[in-house]
Amino acid sequence: MKKTKLGEFEELVLLTVAALQKDAYGVEIRRELEALLKTTLSVGAIQSALKRMEDKGFLTSEFGEPTQVRGGKRKRIYSTTSYGRKVLSEMKEIRATLWSSIPVLAHELKVI
Amino acid sequence: MNQDPPKWPLKLLRFLVKEEYREEIEGDMEETFRFNLTRLSPAKARRFYAWEVVKVLRPILLKNFKTTPTFYHYAMYKNYFKIAWRNLIKKTAYSFINIFGLGLGIACCVLIFMFVQDELSYDNYHEKGARIYRVIHGEATTTDPENGTFAYPPWVWNNAPIGPALKNNFPEIEKVVQFSGRADILLTYGDKLYQEDGIFFMDSTAFDVFSWKLLKGDPKTALAAPYSIVLTETTARKYFGDEDPLGKTLKGSDSPGRGNAGDYTVTGVMEEVPANSHFRFNALLSLNTFRKSRPEIFDYWGYVDTYTYFLVKEQFDEAAFKAKIPAFLSRIRETLDSRYMIAIEPLKDVYLRTTAERQPGETGSLPNIYVFSLIGLFILVIAMINFMNLSTARSMERGKEVGIRKSIGADRRSLITQFLGESMIIVFLSTVVALIIVLIALPNLTGLTGKALYIESFLTWQTISVFLGIIFVIGMAAGSYPALVLSGFNPVLILKGITRSNAGGANLRKVLVVFQFTLSIALIAGTIIVYYQMNHLLDKDLGFDKEQMLVLDYNYDEIVNQKSGAMKAELEKNASILSVAFSRSVPGSYFPHAGTAIQTPEGEMKNMGQAIFQVGMDFVTHFNMKLVAGRTYSREHPSDSTQALIVNEAAARQYGYNNPADIVGKKFDQWGRKGEVIGVVKDFNYISLHKTIEPLTLPFEAYASRYVSLKIKTGNTAETIAAVEEVWKTMVPHRPFLYSFLDDDFNKQYQSDFMFKRLFTTFSCLAIFIACLGLLGLATYTAEQRTKEIGIRKVLGADLGSIVGLLSRDFIKLVFISIVIATPISWYVMNRWLEGFAYRTEIHFWIFILAGCMALSIAVLTISYQSIKSAIVNPVSSLRSE
Repeated sequence: MKKTKLGEFEELVLLTVAALQKDAYGVEIRRELEALLKTTLSVGAIQSALKRMEDKGFLTSEFGEPTQVRGGKRKRIYSTTSYGRKVLSEMKEIRATLWSSIPVLAHELKVI
Repeated sequence: MNQDPPKWPLKLLRFLVKEEYREEIEGDMEETFRFNLTRLSPAKARRFYAWEVVKVLRPILLKNFKTTPTFYHYAMYKNYFKIAWRNLIKKTAYSFINIFGLGLGIACCVLIFMFVQDELSYDNYHEKGARIYRVIHGEATTTDPENGTFAYPPWVWNNAPIGPALKNNFPEIEKVVQFSGRADILLTYGDKLYQEDGIFFMDSTAFDVFSWKLLKGDPKTALAAPYSIVLTETTARKYFGDEDPLGKTLKGSDSPGRGNAGDYTVTGVMEEVPANSHFRFNALLSLNTFRKSRPEIFDYWGYVDTYTYFLVKEQFDEAAFKAKIPAFLSRIRETLDSRYMIAIEPLKDVYLRTTAERQPGETGSLPNIYVFSLIGLFILVIAMINFMNLSTARSMERGKEVGIRKSIGADRRSLITQFLGESMIIVFLSTVVALIIVLIALPNLTGLTGKALYIESFLTWQTISVFLGIIFVIGMAAGSYPALVLSGFNPVLILKGITRSNAGGANLRKVLVVFQFTLSIALIAGTIIVYYQMNHLLDKDLGFDKEQMLVLDYNYDEIVNQKSGAMKAELEKNASILSVAFSRSVPGSYFPHAGTAIQTPEGEMKNMGQAIFQVGMDFVTHFNMKLVAGRTYSREHPSDSTQALIVNEAAARQYGYNNPADIVGKKFDQWGRKGEVIGVVKDFNYISLHKTIEPLTLPFEAYASRYVSLKIKTGNTAETIAAVEEVWKTMVPHRPFLYSFLDDDFNKQYQSDFMFKRLFTTFSCLAIFIACLGLLGLATYTAEQRTKEIGIRKVLGADLGSIVGLLSRDFIKLVFISIVIATPISWYVMNRWLEGFAYRTEIHFWIFILAGCMALSIAVLTISYQSIKSAIVNPVSSLRSE
């Protein structure tokens, strides 16, 4: 976790790719995230996150089938690499550790 | 509605996004677009698409347009500059020849460009210039209006009724402006009395058509009323000083045939007429003055004294207008000469492209412009060749540098950049030199061309960008060959010390030297021919005496004419005045045309037109003309003044008499006079030698003269003039004393020829000088290259002569080849130039031999300096290094 930086948005995209499995291509990822985050996202935002993570080695990709709705252009299906999954689980662990270390009292106080 | 994504954002996307991502991103975008179409209006979906494209433009997704810098360029360029500078300093002589030669070449080009530009700028200042046309008149070859062409060169100057006739028949015409021929008039204000030459009676529409700026007065009405006068600023100052001239009165003399004497009211002051106008003047009189004085002329188709210009409306179809002219002609011909013909000429053509005669002002010469442009180009090419020759010749010296640069990783492209950059530096320095030369030469150019050129008028962004572009092209052209050759060297061979003998380069140098010298020799030959032709013009026997002839101009003044007899007697009392004669014209000035009917050999009266020269009693002896048949006017025949006519040989031939004696005694009818032809004079050149002698009649007209000519003795010219002035002042004090010499006046007709000669000579000399600079550089270089060879030859016993011969031989061969090439070219070109003169020198073959010899001796002098210098070097010093 020292060298690799995984931004918040990147992490969300990476998780979505992992979740969508065979359906993980640009438009689908965006649709999923828009529904979850209740906001609109641009193609550029998704694409640049994907490319960055591909460069970092969290993702691999291959071409899928061309479809009519894409004007005959092929999809690019993304999948997580083992390194990517490892980083994700590391992130999850770090967060879990941090969560667990928050004193209950403080939490409740805050709620009040 | 279009269901596809908008085009231009798609193009932008395709252009900017990395190749490998394109398909995917485009697909994503399109899928989103199609989805949006289902919930949004197509227009909104398309806008959305465009906005999405903008958001795609993120660095990671875009193409790399910059190559990533791999090493530090600054150091490399710094090194280029350092090397370029060292090379300039190390070989000062070469650098000087290169920079100065090229600078001189560029300067010549710039000056010639300015001259040509000025010639081309004539009449461009008229804001409505594109819509101004003028009428040219002439006689057609046939009576059929459809197919007529001009039988003789047409005239711009012709009748007045054509103006209203055109206006009534052609709705395309917005305004017609007519003006008289150049008039000379005496103007008086208080004690200030001047003869104003070349002013015009001008229509009131002038300021609507021509863009002359009226500083004071109303342009609409300034020239409306009779006896109105508009002065230019300088003229106004001449008469009125600092007073406000508006409304003041100038007393004007009569202008014979145009306006009666009267008081002119100043109704306007205008800016000086720009120098680049095809006619200029100091003042304008209203045409209505003319109309009031001689109203009949404005309805008389046969009277020639008007220029007609007109302004057409915005949408003007020139072809359609011209197509309507024949129909118009056949209408007006019903009352007129059946061969009268007109054509129209746009304003842009009147200075350089007109063929018409009797112009209101000076015209330029398009061939001269071509000649000068060509010379400018030649000079530039010669200077560029110098540059190329010296660079290629020195290329071997820089071989090692190229080898080392290549072996430490320079690629060919960066070497080409380096050498082109060096030539750019030299061209830049030359440009600085050129600009300095231009600034120094410009004020002196006025004497050469007769026109004042100012650099300010050329500092427009167009000319500057053209100039920079040309400088860039020169740098590229001059530097390209060395750059390509040098960068192509094989580093291994060069660093081993195996220098290829650069035969290709040497041959190219030879070709270029031949080219240079061909141009130079052609220019020398051209200069000699121009000189000979001009001398021929000045020295040719014109058939009358023009030397020692003093001419006084009194502009038809009636009082002078009345006193002519007494004045003649008074003047002839002076011992240094040989004879005095009054005449309407003098050779070289203006001759009107007249129609004359003379009996032909067949006996019928035939009417033909020719120039007339109205003369007084003793003109034949006075001008020393030769009488070939019959007799001259004589006091013994009182009827001579009205019933006799003298013609020249050409006129006799015109009426069909090959033997001039046969025309004597035939009947004539001219301008209301009837009588007999009494004599024939030998043809004499009464106008410039550009033209052949045309038919001329010399009627007797003692009392409608304009000039007094006095034949005076040589020596004490100043005293004689003073004495004549004394007589003039006592007899006709109201007339200013205006005198000139006939030969000067006559030679004024060759002003533009003399200008041509001066410019041609100057630029030819410069061209030859630049070529010699180059030759000197090349000779120096060759001699340096062969230092060792010369040393060894001397050790083995060669003498000075043989070494000089060895070094010069190659170049002399080239000069000989150039002579052979240059001769036919310059013969052809100069022959074309001479065709512009009716009387021309022969192009003798010795001219080319002389030109060749001159070029050869200049070349030999240039080379021998260097060859002798290297030949007398002690072989010890040239050989000791190895």
